[in-house]
Amino acid sequence: MSDKAAEVQVPFQLQCSVNGELKTIAAPPSTRLLTILRDEMELTGTKRSCEIGRCGACMVLIDGRAVNSCLTMAYQCAGKQITTIEGLSANGLDPIQQAFLEEGGFQCGYCTPGMIVSVKSLLDDKPNPNVDEVAEALSGNICRCTGYGGIWRAVQRAIEGRRYWK
Amino acid sequence: MLLNRTSSGGRWRIRPDGPAKVTGELTYLTDMTKEDMLYGLVLRSEHPHARIISVQTDKAKQLQGVHAVLTYMDVPGLNAFGIAHPDQPVLCEDRARYVGDAIATVAAETLAIAQQALEQIEVEYEILPPVDDPELAILDDAPLLHPQGNTLHRTAFNRGDAEEGFKLCTHIIEETYYTPRQMHTYMETEGGLFVPGDDGRLTVYSPTQHGFMDRLQLSRILAIPQSDIRIVSSPIGGSFGGKDELNVQPYGALLAVNTGRPIKMHNSRWESVRAGLKRHPMKITMKTGTDADGKLLAHQVYIISDTGPYSTLGAEVLNFATEHVIGPYRYEHLDVKGVSVFTNNGMSGEFRGFGGNQAIFALEGQMDRLAERLGLEPWAFRKLNMRQLDDLGPFDQPIAMTEGADQVWDAVSTSPLWLEREKIPLEGQSAAEPWIKTGIGAAFTMHGAGLGVGIPDPAGGRLELAVDGKIEAVFGYEEFGQGLIAALEQMLIEQFDFAQEDIRIIIGDTDVVPDSGSTTASRATAMMWKSLQRLHTPFTEQLLERAGAIVGRPAEQLRLSEGGVRKKVGDELLITYGELAKAEGEPIRCETSFVFPTSPTDRVGAHFMYTYSAVAVKVELNTLTGRVKVLQQYHAVAAGPVINPQGFLGQIEGGSSMALGFALMEDAVMEKGHYMTRNLDTYLVPTIADQRGKIEVQPIEHLPENDEHGPRGIGEVGSVTLAPAIAAAIHQASGKWVTKLPIDPSYLQETPFFLSKAVNGE
Amino acid sequence: MSMNVQETLTSPLVWHPQTAAEAWQYKQTYGIHSVFVAGGTLLRTHWESGAAPMPQHFIDLSAIRGLNEIRVGEEGLLIGGQSKLQECRTNPLLQRHFPMAVDAIRSIAAPSIRNLATIGGNIASIVGDSVPALLVYDASLIWYNGQTEQEEKLSDWLLAAGQSGYRNDRLLLSLKLPLKSETSRGDRDENSTNSKMKRFGAFHKVGRREAFTPSVVTAAVSGSITDTGLLNKIQIAVGGGQTIPRRLIEVEKEIVGTAVDGEMLRHLFDRALELYEPREDVFASASYRKQTAANLIVTELWKASGRFIGQGG
Repeated sequence: MSDKAAEVQVPFQLQCSVNGELKTIAAPPSTRLLTILRDEMELTGTKRSCEIGRCGACMVLIDGRAVNSCLTMAYQCAGKQITTIEGLSANGLDPIQQAFLEEGGFQCGYCTPGMIVSVKSLLDDKPNPNVDEVAEALSGNICRCTGYGGIWRAVQRAIEGRRYWK
Repeated sequence: MLLNRTSSGGRWRIRPDGPAKVTGELTYLTDMTKEDMLYGLVLRSEHPHARIISVQTDKAKQLQGVHAVLTYMDVPGLNAFGIAHPDQPVLCEDRARYVGDAIATVAAETLAIAQQALEQIEVEYEILPPVDDPELAILDDAPLLHPQGNTLHRTAFNRGDAEEGFKLCTHIIEETYYTPRQMHTYMETEGGLFVPGDDGRLTVYSPTQHGFMDRLQLSRILAIPQSDIRIVSSPIGGSFGGKDELNVQPYGALLAVNTGRPIKMHNSRWESVRAGLKRHPMKITMKTGTDADGKLLAHQVYIISDTGPYSTLGAEVLNFATEHVIGPYRYEHLDVKGVSVFTNNGMSGEFRGFGGNQAIFALEGQMDRLAERLGLEPWAFRKLNMRQLDDLGPFDQPIAMTEGADQVWDAVSTSPLWLEREKIPLEGQSAAEPWIKTGIGAAFTMHGAGLGVGIPDPAGGRLELAVDGKIEAVFGYEEFGQGLIAALEQMLIEQFDFAQEDIRIIIGDTDVVPDSGSTTASRATAMMWKSLQRLHTPFTEQLLERAGAIVGRPAEQLRLSEGGVRKKVGDELLITYGELAKAEGEPIRCETSFVFPTSPTDRVGAHFMYTYSAVAVKVELNTLTGRVKVLQQYHAVAAGPVINPQGFLGQIEGGSSMALGFALMEDAVMEKGHYMTRNLDTYLVPTIADQRGKIEVQPIEHLPENDEHGPRGIGEVGSVTLAPAIAAAIHQASGKWVTKLPIDPSYLQETPFFLSKAVNGE
Repeated sequence: MSMNVQETLTSPLVWHPQTAAEAWQYKQTYGIHSVFVAGGTLLRTHWESGAAPMPQHFIDLSAIRGLNEIRVGEEGLLIGGQSKLQECRTNPLLQRHFPMAVDAIRSIAAPSIRNLATIGGNIASIVGDSVPALLVYDASLIWYNGQTEQEEKLSDWLLAAGQSGYRNDRLLLSLKLPLKSETSRGDRDENSTNSKMKRFGAFHKVGRREAFTPSVVTAAVSGSITDTGLLNKIQIAVGGGQTIPRRLIEVEKEIVGTAVDGEMLRHLFDRALELYEPREDVFASASYRKQTAANLIVTELWKASGRFIGQGG
């Protein structure tokens, strides 16, 4: 075993950027990002629901891509840029959030942060997605309240809104 | 006019709770923490049915960091809960009756320690055979789950003589329908924070649909006065009926009182699945007959409902199903019987639709089958037998009269989607891909609102001018996503001419709100509307009189408006609400309380107010796989005035999505009393990809001239009518009748036609 | 707090080997107390459900050099085992040459999971939904056994992995997909010598809902038909659920070179029912799975054949 590999950090410290701020967090390396965000950083906009990646309530962006924070372990976040729902509206409402408000793309709101994070990831990658692409991008976010009607409308409005604001 | 943003114009409003939801700023009760808090966990039975010989907690108590390990011996008051009939043990004494039964509860400084403590509790079980089939459970030789037997409740309703009626029938359809153990699948699992105060009171921050009922139940368990308990119950991350009954509250409360420390609880998904409520699985057998012309003569029904181990609202759900298997049709002879049966399966209980979903799937199935037998168009067949304007209700009880049945029938019959039905070729076959078949079907519902005769159903609320000049609307209801706050705000703006900024809404806190009854049974919006109707004149008068006295004008010349009081003529603001609040005088405050209107009948569970809905749906069946896709939906809903257009649309769309899941994929499968679906990897609910089809919602707002009841409920009706419409559409597509939900694809599967032709040598 | 009991009880050590040799060494050192972790998504599911305990040592494979690349090698496309599924799903080379693999990967979970999960992890699970599509492309696996790299046909490995008591300590380095002109989809191929050959291919995943579903049946079919209606080439693979995917080599051999007609499809249908032995669960019976697979397979050939109607008798 090489010396380099043997230099496993005990105790591990996670260094990463969360919503644009560099953070150093002491936590076991297998700690889930969800736990770090909610418990250590009090970023409770990231929600806990199924804890096995099947609902999307805990979705965050890592380096701009949507990822389930319940499936992501601390060591996998080292050096990464993490953006939570709180980070999206740091400078006022994101047009996606505005679209969800206007179209009623939420009810109880528990899935909403994760849903919006997934939409953000989609539209940053593909500003004009077709229906198939929207369905694929949001298929990992369960909403039990809306039946997705308002979400479809909100995404459509967000696409148009972003176009307008460009 | 179809309901959408455009057609709603300025009435389409941004929800007041929206900004905090889209930014993640909203603190749900399961997001709360407190310094010094302990973590609470519950030890639940390993077995669906077992005698508990002993529970040893010594080892667990000795663990460092453990502050309490409680068993039934530590319950100071009533060791039971249940909204209607408290028979579910808080902590089991000598017997466990399902895999969610609680045996002990632990509070510890960390979650890990709490978990370790659970593992250190030694429970000695004598395993008993699980009673997992309700039909076997009611046989004489079945093991008894409760001293009074395995029957929770029986219902019966008779009119005429059904047996004689069938003798007169030309056509009789007999069929048995099965519905699944659907899970609410609220995204926020149960939990909360339980905080003992220095004053000896306990504050419970935990989702429920009726704070005062939780307060009552917890006071019985803790043996302390209700006034020593405060329940804060909103906001809630979804409920759908599933959080109306107590869940984690007894444990959090017991641990908080016992340790004197705040207790945090938040169920894992598996804990939620295991302990929580589901929709009652029902087996509904129907025999329905008509004369040669298609007139319904006799209808016989037997419902058997699997209510699980304890009562909660199992009897009430059966009452509802019993009423709704009769539905909006006229029969000469009726013979309806139902039984709700205790088993060692999971807990069944309240769930959006409340027994109507199962009943209407079966009833509408009968109507479609009879129409086919008669060679009648299925919608025309319904018209032939539909209730008339001044007919009594299903239980022959007087009901609030509306033209809803006719209105929704008409709407579907002229809807483009229904008219497209005739154009679909025989058995809906597509030429390009002959294994793809499409069909259109429709179904029809009258769905009761309110708790019905025999259950206390209080309502009411309060308006007051707060010291800071805000108009406070104070109600006992809960916001679990349905848009109650938005509906209330919109009514205050539209009925009183207040501005959004003038209003403060206070709900869901038993220390400050009046008991407005439960936020269930599609009742809250209607009851808020009614409350505001009753409060409008007195509250307005009080405000205007005070204002008039200050500005020196007669109240009759003044009006309420945005920001304050103005002259009736002209725009000039005479006095702001803030200035009004500072003025001398008695507090300006009006409160009303009344009961949800009920039918003058003795029939327990009978309803007085109904919402009518009809749904047309287009489906696509792939016969290679047997899988069904819902392509398009049209919902006509006659529920009186639309209070909040966005909320109305969302309720119908959201309800129908649950119905789609109920019809096509959802079932919390159990084997021998154990859940096979422990999380959302196996319990599947619709994704956005399952909901790609267009949904049109047509509200029918017109009410009879002298109607004084206003908006009917819409919280549940969206979830009850789609499943039978899907079944009808599948029949058009394939010629097959679905009897069991969720639909089993293997039943709809066919061997490709080109193979059978090849073999037959055609 | 988010109340995850498991993680607060144990805090495994995470090792970050830079080379396959190091990774292998860690595995030797910690044995059953360790696990190779790629994306960790499936492992997490097992830990949360209690299906497997969280071991004391994680061997993080993500830092091993070269395992994140997708590149054209001498004998085909080499896909590093640590390539994220979403990278595979959007990779132009894969999209162009292995569209059924892309379709299969697209059907796995949701993009957010695919941003974490790797192709190596999907294959290593044995029943991953990418596997049937990879089988029809004659994929090979490249393993590291502690001394050297070993290449093994995916189909051979699956046969071995299906035996009870099978143990595999090797480290999956990469996946190799042979680049052949035949493997491009359908009518897209411009190769003039093959212009009279009609190519076809499709991947099907049947689940319990329209997206993000565990599979019930997966089937991949690929082949070509001559202008005279003879089946020139055929590859069929089936899987789904907990069924170990397999090629239906037996029937492929029986039908290749024969006319695609009703009789042949009937034979294919019957043999697919026999050869495909799906594992059933509480959600779908074996007979449903068989019928579904057979239906989907014969229909692909029927479509490719020009949709004859009943001339087979």
